Amino acid sequence: MTTNLTTRSAEGTAENALMLLHGSNARLVTIFGSVDTSGAKRVHYIADVNREYRCISVPVTGALPSATLISPAAAWHERELHEQYGIEITGHPDLRPLFSHTADYRFLQVQGVGVCELPVGPVHAGIIEPGHFRFSIVGDSVLHLEPRLFYTHKGTEKLFEGAAIMNAPALAESVSGDNCFAHAVACSQSIENAFGISVPPRGRAIRLLGLELERMIAHIGDVGALCGDVGCSVPAAYNSRIKESLLQASAHCFGTRYWRGMAIPGGVRRDLSAENARKFGNAVAHAVADFAGMARIILDTPSVQNRFEETGILSNKIARDLGAVGPVARSSSVRIDVRHDHPYGHYRKITVEVPHFSQGDVLARARMRMEETRVSARLIQETINELAAGIISTPVPLDGSAEGFSAVESPRGELLYWIRIHNGRVMRCHIKSPSFQNWPCLPFAVEGNISADFPLINKSFNLSYSGCDR
Amino acid sequence: MIFDFVTRSLRSPSVLVPVEELFANSLGSRMPDARAEALNEAIAQRVVASCGLSALTMDDADGRMTLSLDYGRCTGCGKCIEAGEGAFYLANQLPCGVSRQALIRRWDLTRGTEILADEEAMTATAKEIRSIVGGALNIRQVDGGSCNGCEAEISALSNPYYDLERFGIHFVASPKHADMLLVTGPITNNMAEAVKRTYEATPAPKLVVAVGACGCSSGIFANSPAVYGSIDSVIPVDAYIPGCPPTPAMLLTGILRTLRHK
Repeated sequence: MTTNLTTRSAEGTAENALMLLHGSNARLVTIFGSVDTSGAKRVHYIADVNREYRCISVPVTGALPSATLISPAAAWHERELHEQYGIEITGHPDLRPLFSHTADYRFLQVQGVGVCELPVGPVHAGIIEPGHFRFSIVGDSVLHLEPRLFYTHKGTEKLFEGAAIMNAPALAESVSGDNCFAHAVACSQSIENAFGISVPPRGRAIRLLGLELERMIAHIGDVGALCGDVGCSVPAAYNSRIKESLLQASAHCFGTRYWRGMAIPGGVRRDLSAENARKFGNAVAHAVADFAGMARIILDTPSVQNRFEETGILSNKIARDLGAVGPVARSSSVRIDVRHDHPYGHYRKITVEVPHFSQGDVLARARMRMEETRVSARLIQETINELAAGIISTPVPLDGSAEGFSAVESPRGELLYWIRIHNGRVMRCHIKSPSFQNWPCLPFAVEGNISADFPLINKSFNLSYSGCDR
Repeated sequence: MIFDFVTRSLRSPSVLVPVEELFANSLGSRMPDARAEALNEAIAQRVVASCGLSALTMDDADGRMTLSLDYGRCTGCGKCIEAGEGAFYLANQLPCGVSRQALIRRWDLTRGTEILADEEAMTATAKEIRSIVGGALNIRQVDGGSCNGCEAEISALSNPYYDLERFGIHFVASPKHADMLLVTGPITNNMAEAVKRTYEATPAPKLVVAVGACGCSSGIFANSPAVYGSIDSVIPVDAYIPGCPPTPAMLLTGILRTLRHK
């Protein structure tokens, strides 16, 4: 098998699923619905239990007991399930719709002397995605923040239905454009996993290059943007330049800036010449050295320290309760990383160092991105130095029927695709994006801070709206 | 410290890309072009069948067999290049900042020649804005529901390689300050009203540029019930920039081309 080795799927009841989530070592990954060819509804629970993905599929016969009271991480998943599949969820504290924006939507009202409501968005004052934020503030301090998202909801999961499996990665790439390669690989891996297909070593290695390059590009850009948000414009411009140097190296060596069209079920579409491998390795080495030098200066700057430190703290408890993933989780002492916990592809052949921080503030998240950039560059160099020879892809059955899922560690964290294929066409595709899981954490990090720090805190999470909204 | 930043920055050589290089460059866009003399009906049928987005179509309306390539629908998936037996290749230059009609290329398959359209005249709004602001254009970027791929490339316009400000062009925070709205799509049901209101809040004269395959035609999301439509289904659009996503060079070309600065 090419993908995450430790997965187990089973039939069960909702009670079984809730029992599973009750365990202290269980982390909820996702909950979603499906309808099979006979029209029968099922609900699928996926949890990470002691570094093993466990999937329990439950036939729906009536109302389901809510998992939210056991694991608050389930709250949005169950809201989605209720809204999209019309399944009754008993005991859920808040079943307001997420996707359909009706005029009668009620925000939580904070009452008291001097409390003001501050609405922001959906159109924001920068080159960013749309979403609405409702702040309840006293003076400058945020008492409560309620995000209302799903403005970019494009019905993407539905569009997968009926698509030929070879066309599925192209849809996956447009779930979140800046992490398009992670989405395409996760989608391809779920198909490979369903059919038990192994990607050739060279294909796996090239995928790692793309995944780690994507992480470097995201993190270098984010650190620059954080500096920009505290008025430190020179490193902001400098980092955007390092990021662009990597994008141009990628366009030169692979013919694409963001690796769209590279991943296909069974491997990758384009090979890398020895000459281009060397050039790409040099560009990465140069970029990471340049970035490390800039990162040191950034961390030594008092005005940056002053703004980053103790701003937007996400506690370890909230991060765990809400099932946070990725750099956000690892900055609050939640040591999870799909590359390490559920190795897939070339990550099974290589040691992945997982940096972590305990402070949970903007500074921790900035340092996390700096550390991960270093790790990614090392993984790229190791992989290029020992790049396996041979073919880059293997055929997959084009008219098969199967079911499977797979996860990758995208720059934002655990990204999981679950797919059901019938006669070579996608019947159902569920996407658990890291942003969907991390968005509910953001308000907890913002509470108690001044509203002017919101852009900085939000940027330090750097969540994808489109990835969440799908 | 600030001094260290400045020293480091000053020590590094300039990476600014000359405007001439940007204009002739669609490297990394992955979009196709065709060799007119190598085209025939058999190849045309194969490439049309390979295209999952109906960007390539065949037509024999005027008594001659033609092949059309609509860049407004194309995402650069590369399937036509694989199916085209050498007649299709990666494009060096693409139409950007033009009308929707001018995004469509047409070839006469019997003669093996391209059917060229007349050069488009500048729109009245573009003329008016140019006479007021010269080159100092203020742009408000609006995301109408995109996957953020276009936003990533629009952000890159401000980096030291492309440096949009060298032309006097700025991104502004409010539609009230804008001469141009740079809109990405597809417009989702949930964003249609916000996009309309942003347009209304922008003072006239104003230009709207639709960005990306989704902005031009709804792209791969055309059949989704959650999607309202392309940008021109919600507000009037003056010029289009194709691509999935368009590269910074294509975006810059499109913005300048809308005002006929190049």
